[in-house]
Amino acid sequence: MKSLKMALSLCLLLVVSGAGASVGAQTFDVQTHTLKNGMKILVQRDASIPNVALYVFYRVGSRNERPGTTGLSHFFEHMMFNGAKKYGAGEFDRVMEAAGGSNNAYTSNDVTVYQDWFPRTTLDLIFDLEADRIENLGFDPKIIESERGVVASERRSSIDADNAGIVYEQLWATAFTAHPYQWPVVGWMVDIENWKMEDLKNHYRMGYSPSNATMVVVGDVTADEIIKLAEKYIEPIKASEPPPKVLTKEPEQLGERRVVVKKFAQLPVLMIGYHIPETAHPDYYALKVMQAILFSGQSSRMYQRIVDKDQLAIEINGDFEFAFDPTLFLVSSQPKEGVAPETVEKAIYEEFDKAKSGAVSEQELEKAKNILLANFYRQIKTISGRANQIGSYEVFFGDYRKLFNAADEYKKVTKDDVRRVAQKYFSDKNRTVSTLIPEKSESGGEQKAADSK
Amino acid sequence: MKRILILLLVGMLFVTGASPRVSAQGGTLTLPPYKKVKLKNGMTLLLMEQHEVPMISFNFVVKAGSVADPQGREGVASMTAGLLRKGTKTRTADQISNELDFVGGILDADATYDYSVGAAEFVKKDVAKGLDLLTDVMLNPTFPQAEVTKLQTQSIDAIKAAKDDAGEVITNYFNAYLYGTHPYSRPTEGDEKSLAAVTRDDIAKFYQSYYTPSNTILAVVGDFNTAEMERTLTEKFGAWAARQSPAISLPEFAPAQGKRLLLIDKPDSTQTYFHIGNLGIARTSTDRVHINVINTLFGGRFTSMLNSELRIKSGLTYGARSVFDQRKGRGPFIISTYTRNATTEQAIDMALDVLKRLHAKGITEEELKSAKNYLKGQFPPRVETSDQLAALIAQLEFFGLDERDINTYYARIDAMTMTDAQRTIKQYFPADNLVFVLIGKSEEIQSLVKKYATEINNKSITQPGF
Repeated sequence: MKSLKMALSLCLLLVVSGAGASVGAQTFDVQTHTLKNGMKILVQRDASIPNVALYVFYRVGSRNERPGTTGLSHFFEHMMFNGAKKYGAGEFDRVMEAAGGSNNAYTSNDVTVYQDWFPRTTLDLIFDLEADRIENLGFDPKIIESERGVVASERRSSIDADNAGIVYEQLWATAFTAHPYQWPVVGWMVDIENWKMEDLKNHYRMGYSPSNATMVVVGDVTADEIIKLAEKYIEPIKASEPPPKVLTKEPEQLGERRVVVKKFAQLPVLMIGYHIPETAHPDYYALKVMQAILFSGQSSRMYQRIVDKDQLAIEINGDFEFAFDPTLFLVSSQPKEGVAPETVEKAIYEEFDKAKSGAVSEQELEKAKNILLANFYRQIKTISGRANQIGSYEVFFGDYRKLFNAADEYKKVTKDDVRRVAQKYFSDKNRTVSTLIPEKSESGGEQKAADSK
Repeated sequence: MKRILILLLVGMLFVTGASPRVSAQGGTLTLPPYKKVKLKNGMTLLLMEQHEVPMISFNFVVKAGSVADPQGREGVASMTAGLLRKGTKTRTADQISNELDFVGGILDADATYDYSVGAAEFVKKDVAKGLDLLTDVMLNPTFPQAEVTKLQTQSIDAIKAAKDDAGEVITNYFNAYLYGTHPYSRPTEGDEKSLAAVTRDDIAKFYQSYYTPSNTILAVVGDFNTAEMERTLTEKFGAWAARQSPAISLPEFAPAQGKRLLLIDKPDSTQTYFHIGNLGIARTSTDRVHINVINTLFGGRFTSMLNSELRIKSGLTYGARSVFDQRKGRGPFIISTYTRNATTEQAIDMALDVLKRLHAKGITEEELKSAKNYLKGQFPPRVETSDQLAALIAQLEFFGLDERDINTYYARIDAMTMTDAQRTIKQYFPADNLVFVLIGKSEEIQSLVKKYATEINNKSITQPGF
């Protein structure tokens, strides 16, 4: 990450607190600029390697879809690599790779993110390629059919052939009854088979206005050169209406929901989801601290209890992702052979109950904050990791500077906060449980998450 | 996928650090300088300063991996590495985890075929604590019986869980089928049966035999002063008593002749996963750069020949690729992809056609140039962080290489000619001698596999082993 002179000239804040000694967050000099068409550009210079990471975040994802065309955002993401006006079918990738660059993209419930990684010498070309597909995407019917097969294969490998994928999909489909988070990002198989050309064109018009996007550039560049290139290539692209607001709110869950998947498998799978608020909610930081205490590292409460002491499972994880709308805190576990998922569940609930009734220790609180801080460093250690974090904070918190405030926000979290969020969100009424029960002989069947180009 | 991935990765695995400064000027790329120190007991230290971020990364290599596992006890090297942090003469497993997590540190180890490897990382201000932990687990592990049993059952269940996802285990089946009785046929993590046979004695003995100073390389990269770090490490590791390690034999292995095929039945499959390949190259092959260039074009990047045909043009799969797994001895060359049951034959035929075309038509000047640019353009992010650099220089040392391997990398890429390309294809990419491994629904695909090989073998995914 950053060059030496960067680190020196820009507040490398090493805040050492008294007792446990936690390190404060490092901050970076991010330059911002908004083009006339509304696209915001964030640039952070880091010349430690002669490369650049360029990420474009569109605020459109599977939450902007409707039944019948689920997975359309993700399918559209694929189509963004399949030819535009100046660079036809296959040319985007061919030209970029020939110049030493590579690319990918990912789609989530909330956003679609395009990623380019390239040597700094190819900056101009990358802007030309990006502008072409943002402004003049082609829709070749033959390519759409072939890409449909690619996405179906992606779905089969990430869901059907992966038991955790099936259980995960069923969990969200059960925990959400009204809100669009109920369908998988990759889409239901039958919808993948049925998207029409018109659906794709509508999606392009709805989600891909420059005013609906944020560009983040981190690497061996200056803000001046990036802004000049953006003015030349991106600014002429016209803005249009942003996607309609997603008004649906998931009603409060009033009792536990359970879903069971039975299929050929050697071992069961267990996932539990609890409704929690959106990323921008003030409880975000307390939930993160609680997450670290319960789930982070082999000394965490859940690992100690479930994997180490009771030996009920070979792994236990719990975490939650950035989201525009109220989302799920997801607990997942791989039970050991011969251990019923219910036995693992019971131990998990007992640990949540302890967090609700008793205080966590000072030592645990301090440890959680140290872990969160070390993770912060890990997420921003590469130019691509930093581009992703800066963009995600800008989009989900509404301000990239929140990234550099995170350590301070964690510091403010108290033992009472941890107990309060445990009580508020981790009740039996608020949970959905999804399990896979192995059937020794098989019956097959298509089952149905999302992803990367 | 993204969503699931995040869960599985929570708070672990990631060994990281500061970022290095790799200078790429005028088409060259030079590693930052580092110092090599040989302690009196034979241990090797590699020290590279990187001051951009206040973190320090450690990477240790012990020159014995799963190849040294006793026959029938596969998984000993892997379990030995995994148990290092599960109890020492002065700390219980819980104490180690607590002390480590409290400083947000990372400390993990595992085995590869040829060596065991551990990685640790700490914030600079905690490095004294970190080094204390690292030294303790490397020098004083006690392998408590209860921890051995725990890891043993966890490892067995992990293999069963992995077998529920064909993509996770197909490479194990391929190695077993390609290498026959050669040590590279044996899974590094062991299998359901071999793990059940492993005892604490096996582990203690593996440690005693192979974790010795002369067998150990420790690389340190990050925010420290070299002279001070050298002094500290010499103090910490200097007292480690020198011991002789037994030699590990790695027999020569000849490429498979003819065609043979193994079909593993997984009755719930909606797609067939397949590997096609033969013997590849060692990490130290002098033709490695040429091979990497050709493989980039053949199956190493998004627009590769394989991915163009099987994904971009036909939509048969989400991805098709090829790889030369480079080890101390010759690792495998593997073409891999997956496709729905009904298009299994079409996809295998197409993969074989692409391979045939590589031999018949070779590559163009333009493609050669493109692959060179790609390899050079994508390399700097692979040596960007301290943990990457620590792993890299430790491995170079293990393979008997040094910084010249990196510092001449761009020049060797640039020097490659069309003649080199033709020779490389002929010499290193298999043509008629091929080994096939498929995991899928036998009921639907058994009848079509006959055309690919003279020898057909069958297994069920639920049978123990690979």
